[in-house]
Amino acid sequence: MRPFLFHSPSNAAEAIQKHTKDQNTHYLGGGTNLIDLMKEDVARPDHLIEVADLPFKQITKTANGGLMLGATLSNTETANHTQVRKNYPLLTMAMLSAATEQIRNMATNGGNLLQRTRCPYYFETAMPCNKREPGSGCGALNGANSKSAIFGWSASCVATHPSDMCVALAALNAKVHVEQAAGSSRVISFTDFHRLPGDQPEKDTTLKIGELITGIELPKSEFPDHYYYYKVRERSSYAFALVSAAVGLQLNGNTINKAGLALGKVAHKPWKLEKVEDFLAGKEATLENFEAAADLAFENAQPLSKNEYKIELGKKTLVQALVRAAARS
Amino acid sequence: METKKTSGIGSPISRLEGKLKVMGKAKYSSEFAFENLAFAQGIQSTIASGTITAIDTSEAQKQEGVLKIITYENAMKLKGYDNRFEPPSTHGISPSLQTPEVHFYGEYIGVVVAETFEQARYAANLIKVTYAEDDHKTNFEEQLDSVYKPDKVNGSPTDTSRGDLEKGMNEAAARIDVTYNTPIEHHHPMELHNVIAVWEGDTVTAYASTQMVENAVITIAETFQIPKEHVRVITPYVGGGFGSKLQLREHATLGIMAAKMVGRPVQFTVTRHEMFTAIGFRQHNRQRMRLGADQAGNLTAVGHETTSHTSFTEEFQETTGAMTRMLYQSPNSLVTHRLMKLNLPSPRWMRAPGEAPGSFALESAMDELAHELKMDPAALRIKNDTQTDPSNNKPFSSRQLVECIRIGAQKFDWKNKWNPKPGHTVKDNWMVGYGMSASSRAAPYMKSSAEVLLKKDGSKITATLQTDATDIGTGTYTVLGQTVAETLNLDIENIRIELGDSKFPKTPGSGGSWGAASFCNGAKAACINAINTLKTRANVTEDLSIAQLMRKANLTEHQAKGTAAPTEEFDNYSVYSFGANFCEVWVDKDTGMVRLQHFVNVGSAGKILNPKTAYGQIIGGITWGVGQALTEYTEVEPNHGNFITRSFADYHVPVNLDLGKIDVIFLPEADYIANPMGIKGIGELGITSIAAAIANAVFNATGKRVRDLPITPQKIINTPVTA
Repeated sequence: MRPFLFHSPSNAAEAIQKHTKDQNTHYLGGGTNLIDLMKEDVARPDHLIEVADLPFKQITKTANGGLMLGATLSNTETANHTQVRKNYPLLTMAMLSAATEQIRNMATNGGNLLQRTRCPYYFETAMPCNKREPGSGCGALNGANSKSAIFGWSASCVATHPSDMCVALAALNAKVHVEQAAGSSRVISFTDFHRLPGDQPEKDTTLKIGELITGIELPKSEFPDHYYYYKVRERSSYAFALVSAAVGLQLNGNTINKAGLALGKVAHKPWKLEKVEDFLAGKEATLENFEAAADLAFENAQPLSKNEYKIELGKKTLVQALVRAAARS
Repeated sequence: METKKTSGIGSPISRLEGKLKVMGKAKYSSEFAFENLAFAQGIQSTIASGTITAIDTSEAQKQEGVLKIITYENAMKLKGYDNRFEPPSTHGISPSLQTPEVHFYGEYIGVVVAETFEQARYAANLIKVTYAEDDHKTNFEEQLDSVYKPDKVNGSPTDTSRGDLEKGMNEAAARIDVTYNTPIEHHHPMELHNVIAVWEGDTVTAYASTQMVENAVITIAETFQIPKEHVRVITPYVGGGFGSKLQLREHATLGIMAAKMVGRPVQFTVTRHEMFTAIGFRQHNRQRMRLGADQAGNLTAVGHETTSHTSFTEEFQETTGAMTRMLYQSPNSLVTHRLMKLNLPSPRWMRAPGEAPGSFALESAMDELAHELKMDPAALRIKNDTQTDPSNNKPFSSRQLVECIRIGAQKFDWKNKWNPKPGHTVKDNWMVGYGMSASSRAAPYMKSSAEVLLKKDGSKITATLQTDATDIGTGTYTVLGQTVAETLNLDIENIRIELGDSKFPKTPGSGGSWGAASFCNGAKAACINAINTLKTRANVTEDLSIAQLMRKANLTEHQAKGTAAPTEEFDNYSVYSFGANFCEVWVDKDTGMVRLQHFVNVGSAGKILNPKTAYGQIIGGITWGVGQALTEYTEVEPNHGNFITRSFADYHVPVNLDLGKIDVIFLPEADYIANPMGIKGIGELGITSIAAAIANAVFNATGKRVRDLPITPQKIINTPVTA
């Protein structure tokens, strides 16, 4: 990898202050993604600011009955935390479907949100990729795109976001807390945290330079009983999804009070299904309604040359996730 | 004389070197320490076809620790190919950096040598290469009209036929005419390919990951045009080969060249990413299968026509039709192989070259034929069994295929479970299916030598066996220890096995499933020679213990060499191992995810030297067969012609959860026609026909016949129900 300067700040303010100094500066969490990218010469930071040891390692209850997940806590500790398991089992299920135990032990919550795409063109430095090298083109658009996006892509990028955790967070209506320079902070709704590629695919999120994720806020538990994270992949574990669906349902008898829904690996960001959530609210939890919901979810899908299968697979995945969530109690 | 049998042949003892491996003390070729060791990092081409016009090394040259940058402009002159386009050989030359031509994406076009691996890798990233790019041919479909008939296919005839295939098809009551595709696959042994090259004057020692020590010596000597006696190759442990380490490849040439040019020991370890382009792979095989049978299931026609691809620099094709030529009786048969040239790296031998993809086509087609005939697929195989090899009319030295099928069926409870109607059993969201297949693999036997050194210390006798054989994870140390223990009637604790050094007696190395049979017979010959020469020295004729003989001969040390080789009788027979597979898979009815639940493998493979290590080999073969069936493929980028599957995140080898319960059964057998110890190879038998059994079970579960491997959720979604 290329030479870089390594900073180990003792507090968030110092980290943020260092980050604002230079455009080509990265925060380093568990390193399970960024270090790989540096070894591959894909990421070429001049400065690395280690944030994995900053004191955001707690899980605390919020004033409105929700939960705040510290940004530097590991994925393993978060997924297995009593409060998470009890009140947000969808999150546990999604997180534990990701990667391996060893990687989850290292990976931080903040880092999970910031992991980069697995599009092969992004990794191969001699290939065109606007995300890696703005202006070089999108190799996947008319290339090997069987695992690329079917929603929200642009001519400059068809990459997908690889996270499982983020799909559950989108379904759960989480919020991202960030700290800024001079001690200010802001809260970003999860659907606004990641962005679509547009003509700036190099930007995965709406974070501004210097902003540091300190926590992920979960609202008061809404789907502790009826939930399912369905991850379809090419081998039984340790593989990224082809498509995935995160489903939380609030049932009153067989009537759906509220649904929290998102799809994974279909777009540049976790694909929140707000319209489908509205559609299901007040309806009966029947296969017929679930299939109608899936049709609605995919009605605006725009497949590329090699990924049309994702539509049918995605619909079936969502229907099955809904069926299993409803059956669970 | 008391006989000690507990660690002799047939005992399921644990690996002799197992503890060393667990403790990290088994030294692989990249783990030898040298003062002043420098590190080499390859530079790879980023076009698929063309010529290098300029290489700017100025930035790289300036970096700390960089010792040398080698490109075609300053490389040592090596022996080049007389004919650039010829079949590869396990002892063939491996020239590199001799011309500015680029034949495929990822070809080594340079090396950076630096004080540390990190410095070398960083500097390599700073080198800027300019090319005159040619149109590349990397699309299999587009080049189909360029196919030609190679002279030979991995040493076997290209085309064979008997009778009249068309006539046999016309006569048939049931017919199959379908095409199967198997994708590009990669070996990926756990141990990365490696060399540490150490020159002393004009002699070189290469600590190299190789399956074949003597062949590696020849490759180095010929490539660098130096006498063989000036080359030593050392490889005490090899972390998997699967065919990728049969021939020493260009990385070794470059490491040896770099060591010469910088005047220091140099290590060149191929990175995992480079393992996709630097060491060979299994080619994409398109296989048209035609089968015909009469109403009773007797085959009337067997056709197997393969189209595949090689590189522009070497002609390699695996013998996909090998098993089709000999497994079933049929009066009419046609087996052909065709090739096209693509701007991809040269494909090479990969575990069961030919049988692994070929058996998928043949044994899937047999299943399709059984379905047409409304016949039990196990019965169809039994119906068409033959004790004479139809390809050459020689008798089989032993063939227990029918017994394998019957015993496997019994173990699996096939009779009660088998139901030809897809969708017969549904559990929750899973559709349950059952499948089976038959398998065979040649059991070659080659000339092999060893030397045994006996030492007597008081009443304690120790034996050291030396041979240039390799242990590629297969258990060579252990089965040789058992052979020596049994032949010399010594405790295995007092036996030392030394392998993988070219100064030891020669063997054919590990490959082609001939290792165990060849090495053990060679070792046994050395031990028998030791006993016989001791008897002469002791002037006795009766059978005494080694200790008694050495006492009588008044010796504290004694050594003997021995060589075993096939006799003429071997050529009068067809010598093969056989097997049968039965499995249960569950397929998610919505998403097409496949879960293997149970696999039963029965093998008839001569004398099993050590059931534990043999079991490990078969488990490994089945695991890879599951990968072949369900998860493994390498994709060629359509516009640039590179392998876009470039890491273990993209190239999915199976995980434990993909495997389910596996039962392995070995039939009792000792084939003394095969060789004096009755051993047949199992390394390649283990992967053969595994994918077909799984694909057949997927069809039985879903009614979907996926003829393109691997069977991913995407393929199941896209395949229509046909039954």
